[in-house]
Amino acid sequence: MSNRHDLLGEVTKSMKIKKLRSKIAIAASLVLSAGLVATGLPSAQAAGLQPTAKQLAEWKGKTISYYFYNDSQAELDTTKKQIAAFEKLTGATVKLDVIPFTNYDPTLQARLAAGNAPDVARLNNPGLYIKDSLDLEKYLGRKYKNEFLKGSTLQVTHPTTKKLIGVPYDLTVNGPFINVDMFKKAGVAVPTSWNWAELIAAGKKVQKATGSEYAFAIDKTGHRVSTVMSHFGAYMVDKNQRNVLPTSKFRAEKAVKMITDLYIADLAPRDLWIGTGTKYSSPTAIFLGQQTPIFFSGNWQVASLAKDAKFDFAAVPNPKELNGGGWPGGKFLTAFNTSKTPDLAAYFVYYLADAPQMEQMDKDAFWLPVRVDLVAQGVKYATRSSDMAVFQADAARTPAAAYGIQSVPTLTGLIYNNLRDLMTDIMGGKITAKEAIAKQIAFIDTQLATLKK
Amino acid sequence: MPYLFVAPNMLIFLTFIIWPAIRGFQISFFDSMDGRTFTPVGTGNYRAIFSDPTIAEVAKNTAIYVIFYVIISTVLSIAFALIINEQQFAKGFFRAILFLPVMLSPVVVGLIWNDVLDRKVGPLNSLLEALGGGSPGWLVEPTLGMIAVIFVGVWVHLGFYSIILLAGLQGIDRSLLEAAAMDGATRLQIIRTIILPLLKPTTLVILILATIHGFQSFDFIYTLTGGGPFGATTLIVQYIYDRAFQTPIQYGLGSAAGVILFMIIFAFTALNFLVGKKRQAI
Repeated sequence: MSNRHDLLGEVTKSMKIKKLRSKIAIAASLVLSAGLVATGLPSAQAAGLQPTAKQLAEWKGKTISYYFYNDSQAELDTTKKQIAAFEKLTGATVKLDVIPFTNYDPTLQARLAAGNAPDVARLNNPGLYIKDSLDLEKYLGRKYKNEFLKGSTLQVTHPTTKKLIGVPYDLTVNGPFINVDMFKKAGVAVPTSWNWAELIAAGKKVQKATGSEYAFAIDKTGHRVSTVMSHFGAYMVDKNQRNVLPTSKFRAEKAVKMITDLYIADLAPRDLWIGTGTKYSSPTAIFLGQQTPIFFSGNWQVASLAKDAKFDFAAVPNPKELNGGGWPGGKFLTAFNTSKTPDLAAYFVYYLADAPQMEQMDKDAFWLPVRVDLVAQGVKYATRSSDMAVFQADAARTPAAAYGIQSVPTLTGLIYNNLRDLMTDIMGGKITAKEAIAKQIAFIDTQLATLKK
Repeated sequence: MPYLFVAPNMLIFLTFIIWPAIRGFQISFFDSMDGRTFTPVGTGNYRAIFSDPTIAEVAKNTAIYVIFYVIISTVLSIAFALIINEQQFAKGFFRAILFLPVMLSPVVVGLIWNDVLDRKVGPLNSLLEALGGGSPGWLVEPTLGMIAVIFVGVWVHLGFYSIILLAGLQGIDRSLLEAAAMDGATRLQIIRTIILPLLKPTTLVILILATIHGFQSFDFIYTLTGGGPFGATTLIVQYIYDRAFQTPIQYGLGSAAGVILFMIIFAFTALNFLVGKKRQAI
């Protein structure tokens, strides 16, 4: 657990010693700048890794493909700009494949099976690609992983070789958004702290006052529901790859029942959850359409909401029961071992994850930083900084136990999806919350047993 | 020389249809999680499918969908073909309107109907509410979900079948119809005793096509309901897709289910063909 705890610890500590590190960072950047002026190297190469003249000659005219999905237009726009700069720097071409998130992993897995793997991919479930990922340490060095928050590299560390097979691209934190205009219209104060009963009461009050279709909506995924379970002190897998749900099953039942009751009572969009089968779905459009005053999702939504919302919205703190805080997630960059130009693919990963590019992306797309240097210096968001501060504070408040499930990177998706499908069954009256948690316990046991085979 | 002319087509057919089918059959006897390493399992995948508790539900859903889809789309396409054939003005316009859904992407079809059928804000329920018909949960009630996908399936393909039947209708010798009319046959009698029997070969084609389309339905259903609510619209192709492409990936199991689907479609098509041929001979 200490490794996952390190991530939180680092975030908290880094906030405390931010000023000191800022000074160090400024001093370091002055030294680097002086070096850059002297050598005339582009900023992308400043952090240490520089392509050799031989590599540049080899890369010229080469093409690599980048398999990518975006949560917001800002992510895509910034990526395109960074690709253009990379192409100018290396003389290589990057073919950007933008894939919808709904079918992201199935499409990538089909491409891998067909021998048509991309060179580099942005992933949110790197555990599925452990066998296919390139050993980045071979190209970027053993110490490269130290550039990132320690806990965030766990999901991209090979389980047996312990080599780095990807890099963290951002840290995500789950949490609620509210429609401030609707809250104001209903005379409900914007919460600065609350528990789940207060959240639901506020949602109902705003719904009644504004005539909105729903009081609350949450992304249809076990990952988001795990946040609610965490608030009640329930977890599924710990850092030692053990099923810990039996020890907190009553708390889990309470959390799951509370959410499913909202859907059964039609206070949340049942059509979106039940009517989409086993697919992922997000009520973003429902929130944007002002059909719900509260939308439980995560910080990656800030950019698209800022662009598309025709009303005042705000990120508000996660409700606190036994625990507060969010639930960790993140995106990763991986190069594939089938790449014909692995050094170019590795360098592309390095380039995108290097401080200047990462800082730009963090600012443009409202990402939370995962680089140690950026965490230390802090990212200054031009707009929506108060929303990002809420997510950063919730990241620091996230319990260490929330990182436990990351110890089984190949199983996280399965465990989350099964929880989601069991919740659908509760909403349909097929099973009770108690039966759902009992089934989830059995499912986790079965899945964990596969690790031992 | 004739072989040379068909060679390009045959090459494409062999490469993209026959070879993948053979490979699929071969893979159905292996277990593979990545499509690159294969472990032989004999008939294990077939046994796993038949012992899967969800397969009975999937088979039932598929049977209900195919039966209703084939009957409704065949009957309606004959009706529409007859109406359009008799249309005196704007024939082309009505034909285009009928054919329009065929040209839409199945994904778009699913998304459009997903909005139309939304329980709270969908235009259909708004209309029903205005008429005092309540707000049916088209996408949250299992029976209504199945009705919705059958309706949308028929809506998508109706134009295609109607155009084929229209071509069949226009191939009927007008003098036969005129002679019957002169002999005092009513419109209904002409349809029942002359048009429908003469339209049998085309109807058989429609029946075969509708059966194949029915068994293969997936894309618009996946977008519309995702196989929900509660698995009520999960048909055999989605079962294959879920096994082959959703984690945990089981290419062998997916291939075995694909082979089973092929055998079912083949059996139904052969049956349709044989029954049709026998009736024609009589």
